Amino acid sequence: MEQHGKLTVLDPHGQPSGIFGRRLDAQSKPGDILDPVAQPSGDLKPLSMAPRTGSLDGKTVYLVETGFAGSLEFMQELQDWFSEQMPSVKTVVRHKRGTMFTDDPELWMEMKSRGAHAAILGVGG
Amino acid sequence: MGMSRTVLRQYIEGNNPITARPFIQEVVEALTLPLTEKEKHPTAAPRKPRRPRLLPAATAEDLYRQFVENGWTDGLPIVLPTEERVAEMLTGTDHVPDEIVGRMCVTTHQERLEYTVEKVAVIAVMAGARPEHFPVILALAESQEPSMPSSTTSWGRMMVVNGPIRNEIGMNYGTAALSPFNLANSVIGRAWTLMSINFGDARAGENFMASFGHNLNYNNMCCGENEELSVFEPFHVQKGFRPDESVVSLFRGWNMLNFGLGPAKEMAHVISTFGSMGTSITFVVDPLVAKNLRVEGFKTKQDACKWIVENSHVPAGHYWEGQMQSGFARGLAQQGIEPFATWAKLPNDALIAPRRSADDLNILVVGGETNPMWITTDFAYTRSVSVDKWRPKCGIRRDAKPLRMPEPVTCKDGACGIPEAALPTLPATATD
Repeated sequence: MEQHGKLTVLDPHGQPSGIFGRRLDAQSKPGDILDPVAQPSGDLKPLSMAPRTGSLDGKTVYLVETGFAGSLEFMQELQDWFSEQMPSVKTVVRHKRGTMFTDDPELWMEMKSRGAHAAILGVGG
Repeated sequence: MGMSRTVLRQYIEGNNPITARPFIQEVVEALTLPLTEKEKHPTAAPRKPRRPRLLPAATAEDLYRQFVENGWTDGLPIVLPTEERVAEMLTGTDHVPDEIVGRMCVTTHQERLEYTVEKVAVIAVMAGARPEHFPVILALAESQEPSMPSSTTSWGRMMVVNGPIRNEIGMNYGTAALSPFNLANSVIGRAWTLMSINFGDARAGENFMASFGHNLNYNNMCCGENEELSVFEPFHVQKGFRPDESVVSLFRGWNMLNFGLGPAKEMAHVISTFGSMGTSITFVVDPLVAKNLRVEGFKTKQDACKWIVENSHVPAGHYWEGQMQSGFARGLAQQGIEPFATWAKLPNDALIAPRRSADDLNILVVGGETNPMWITTDFAYTRSVSVDKWRPKCGIRRDAKPLRMPEPVTCKDGACGIPEAALPTLPATATD
């Protein structure tokens, strides 16, 4: 509607839905697209962060490469750096199952069961 | 990728380019320093407020500036979505304005924005569409797929319409179908991107991280399939829809090679040659190419795709050097998943067929028979959505005098000079 040379127009932006995405599961193919209708909805609850280790001396740190090209080499170099600069830290390089876009809850459980104190995940390289 | 260990070490020992602090120090601190009170007791991020239906009244010039400066456009001029124009657009469907059509986001992890039929009408007006185009635009919105999914690799997309609506709304699927001549092709393809910006909440450099972006994002290769001149089953029928159903099909990939000429052997050669092509391939072929494929003995698109897959080999060494495939496949090989694990053990000159199924290939028939050429894309088919749900019961709502491009010169005999003897077994087309 035009009044005194001014127009009223509709807002083009979508409305917040409270529905957030999540990672693909491990069986998904690289080209798969999430179905947002199936996403859980409801109130968002903040998650507290894991307690920190205080020191890495004598601790085990998993270096998890996510599958992007170059990330294995980056994590291997990071492992070398720890060996040289922080030799008291035990590091384990692992590849995350599936593609770089998929979750790997089995690996997270394995890391906990094997006494991992911390993990560094990355795509670097 | 492909960086030497020396360079990788420099990344580890160098500064974080965003904070300018030593990278490895930040990593170690993130694992060892005590949690702050805020980290111990986080609060939920503030929710975005619901947006008003109307913007404050302003002059057309100021509103246009507001749309551009808020990042609500593709940078090209838009039609301002006044209530009158949106109401007119809503006559293009029987669905009520407040019906929720879907939710969209250009990333996989952020909040999806919800949109109604009215919101889609706002986008359609902005794109310059008419009510006759609205059912196709609503089907695009129903797909909930953004035309610009965020990836540093810069996705391109394609949308192809099948069925009667192509002719009802004057889409071009013939001569120059992919060129900017046709109103329907232009505004429908543009609407998909405007809804990806406004419903998918795409913000360059914030949540849309394509390094150089993709020029196809302006229009998304919007066209129809030339069912009338194709000797093959229409694409939507391949996907299980009825021939008389109107359907929009969506594709996603990166690469596009426009100069393709020759028989199926050459199509196999092209996709074997370019290591940066993704694992899925969609050929966009002129109707003359489809006819030539028939002459070569392929009865269906699937037959041709199967032959091309089986005859497009690459040396294993070439495959693993190609970052496009190996970036995905290397980890799978390391986990012992076949065939990647076997391929990883092969000598460099051993031949493999990286596209393992005819389902990885698609053929779309588009064009006006001015040259028997084909376009090679590495676009994967993602989904098809029926348009008919969104049609008004009284029929497509057209202008009293619909806007149409000039009629192109078309082949009148359907054979374009190919001798009748060369086409002895042409099947009845789905539109017969």
